[in-house]
Amino acid sequence: MTTKDEKAPLMEVRDLTLVHRGSSGSTPIVRDVSFSLGYGQVLGIIGESGAGKSTIGNAVIGLLAPGIEQTGGSIRMNGIALETLDAERRRALRGGAIASIFQDHTSSLDPLMTIGAQLGETIAALSPDLPRAEVRKRAVALLERVGIPEPARRYNSYPHQLSGGQRQRVVIATALAGSPSIIVADEPTSALDATVQKQILRVLKGLVEEKGLSILLITHDMGVIAEIADRVVVMKNGAVVEQGSTAALLENPQDVYTRNLLSAVPKLRRSNVDVRADTPAGADGNPGQAECRPARDAILVVDNLSKTFGGKSILRMFGTEKPGFALRDVNIRLPRGGVLGIVGESGSGKSTIGRILAGLETGNADKIELNGKACDITYRGRGGGLLGQVQMVFQDPSSSLNPRLTVVEALTECVRATARSGDDRSRSRIAKTIERLGLQQAHLDRYPHQLSGGQKQRVCIARALLAGPQIMIADEPTSALDVSVQAEILSLLKETVAENDLSMIFISHDLAVVQDICDEVCVMRNGRIEDYGTSDFIFGRSENPYTRHLIDARPKIFTR
Amino acid sequence: MALFKVISGRLYQAFLLLVVMSLIGFVGIHSVGNPVYNIVNIETATPDDIRRATELLGLDQPLWRQYLVFVQNLATGSFGTSYIYHLPAFELVLSKLSATIELAAFAILIAAAAGTGLGLLAGTRPGTLVDRMVVIVTVYALSVPSFWLSMMLVLFGAVMTGWFPSGGRGSTVDLFGWEWSFLTADGLKHLVLPVLALAIPNIALIARLARAGTVEVQRADFVRFCLAKGLSDRHILFRHTLPNISLPIVTIVGLQFGGMLAFAMVVESIFAWPGVGKLLIDSIQLLDRPVVMATLTFVAITFVALNAIVDLLYAVLDPRVRISA
Repeated sequence: MTTKDEKAPLMEVRDLTLVHRGSSGSTPIVRDVSFSLGYGQVLGIIGESGAGKSTIGNAVIGLLAPGIEQTGGSIRMNGIALETLDAERRRALRGGAIASIFQDHTSSLDPLMTIGAQLGETIAALSPDLPRAEVRKRAVALLERVGIPEPARRYNSYPHQLSGGQRQRVVIATALAGSPSIIVADEPTSALDATVQKQILRVLKGLVEEKGLSILLITHDMGVIAEIADRVVVMKNGAVVEQGSTAALLENPQDVYTRNLLSAVPKLRRSNVDVRADTPAGADGNPGQAECRPARDAILVVDNLSKTFGGKSILRMFGTEKPGFALRDVNIRLPRGGVLGIVGESGSGKSTIGRILAGLETGNADKIELNGKACDITYRGRGGGLLGQVQMVFQDPSSSLNPRLTVVEALTECVRATARSGDDRSRSRIAKTIERLGLQQAHLDRYPHQLSGGQKQRVCIARALLAGPQIMIADEPTSALDVSVQAEILSLLKETVAENDLSMIFISHDLAVVQDICDEVCVMRNGRIEDYGTSDFIFGRSENPYTRHLIDARPKIFTR
Repeated sequence: MALFKVISGRLYQAFLLLVVMSLIGFVGIHSVGNPVYNIVNIETATPDDIRRATELLGLDQPLWRQYLVFVQNLATGSFGTSYIYHLPAFELVLSKLSATIELAAFAILIAAAAGTGLGLLAGTRPGTLVDRMVVIVTVYALSVPSFWLSMMLVLFGAVMTGWFPSGGRGSTVDLFGWEWSFLTADGLKHLVLPVLALAIPNIALIARLARAGTVEVQRADFVRFCLAKGLSDRHILFRHTLPNISLPIVTIVGLQFGGMLAFAMVVESIFAWPGVGKLLIDSIQLLDRPVVMATLTFVAITFVALNAIVDLLYAVLDPRVRISA
């Protein structure tokens, strides 16, 4: 690593200052940021939302959002100050010397164009005289380079026909088209499952090692940094808090903020193997067909829950798609007053279970009993008995609140809808509830955009609580939040459930979070239960290969 | 098998539409008045003449029986004979078709091209003077009533400047058994004003649609990614933005084209353009039931066919529709 540092830097950022010029004056977004990126180096910029890390990435690419200006400092690449270049030369750099990878693989590609055509147009834009056949050959070679299976056939695929990981590979291939020397990767793996994330990081690492590329890696995820970054810049509120080599920084963080950031990351415990007979009967040795503990102390009993997709839709008319199972024979016992975790990768059906149990979607089951009373899940609506009794907290608090309602309006609506009698004490009841959840009276009359992510999620929890549920379902409630906020919300959820005598189903892809909060865990894969047991069993003793695979996919430093 | 199901579904839909339209048309015309008085010469006809004419046309029968007779005739492919022109009704409609098609086709082509162009122009520069101009002008163009717009066009384009004729089709050329105006210079001149009258509101409509779509697509991540790939603005605009905004535009173009083919009666009347719309309004006034029924049937078929074409275009334009539906 020291040899890399000794070379002259490829890119040098000195005292970079970026301000946003709005109607109410200019606000600094990034202040006096300096760092350098050497050849063949991976530099991580880490920070929570609002730290200005993405804005730095945009400045390097030369695509600052409207209203944002560079007012000071310089970005030099090979000694040339980029801000002195005119628009045309700047564009020539983009896709050429400086390529970029964005976070959201679902929207980085034009949905109406084949991936081959999108790769091809990039290649053609960089070398316009290339014959078509040659463009195609290069595109196929690039697809092969990033590990797309059957690249020649995939060339004609549209983005929606690829998996998330494959799409992100295509994005990387596109970035490689101009043989760049720097890739600016803005949260390249945040939208991907842990196992896919690992593959993508491996691809990026391979590029650095083979081609001597440099990567400016912008992320909020310490795990990603730990996996591939050589050096780290920690940012907070637009300024650099601390920088240094990754190993040193993780071992021995100097700044309090870095230390908090590191300690807030949920960590997986795997050592304390407890040999008590605390396993639900039949769960071990018989994965996939797991039987559950007796229904005595279960508030919610689910037997053989299944859901098919493509049932009546026109998909089947054309015979292009056979009916598939979104869920198949799922058996769940939610212990009264307990927390059941459902983990799995995207597409495993974990969210579908939550939505069916909340009465938002239909399904089929041999038996669904809430408090010993049978519920009907074959149609949506109030009659089934689940809706209202089961409340949900969704992943993205920003999109689950109506932007035109204030907090009190949104909560009143919910109290009214579920009130047994029309009492006018709703405001005081709401105030009491949100105070318990760590908000203040003053927040009542604010609109969602005036609240932070964590505050919005608190409002969502309040909304679920005010409906007076027996069961709370939290579907990835912290995935859209910063790590430090994530920890707060998790402990809040835990307390709330205990205080109000609720039971909770906690759906997440993050094993560490699940281990932290859940008594029992159910591992889903392709719509089936793959593994089921107490938290200690799943994380300590389960020999199910899929469970092990999920646990192993986590970055090593976060397993203690 | 699946395709068969789709087609049969469409045909069933068309059939239902036809039944409903024919019922409405039948009852509607019946309740307006007795067509006999438009057919016989009121001044010379004796009560006996009128009675004979009534019997001859079957108008003495109860309405439901008249409808059954109409359906029976329809089964043999006949809409009956026009009371006024004494020509087979459907042939009469078809004879007006060329005038309507050339008018509507020119109008929609101009509207689609100009509207999309203006929308892209405005949508890529949101908040600028150009954008605000487009937004404001299109509101006016949309809110102006069709007859007023037509009369202003006559006033400026014909009366004051004398550049264009104010009505009629001008000289026509016979092609495929139909008369066409656009093949002669004189006919083209006659086309200009009515085409503008039909196109202007649609330019505005499509421009607003295209602008909204463009603003949205320009913000999309893939456009930013295209910029980051080093593509030129022009390339992004035509290869990425345009296809992505085209779906709603295609829908509106299809609907509006159908509307022009069937219901351009205001413009056709003002410019004395002998098209289907004018035929329909004239026939309704004269209570010429066979012609009204034939026109309505034509309208229904047109709309069903255009909808099918729009759906097909969806599949061509959007691979997600193509593969999953």
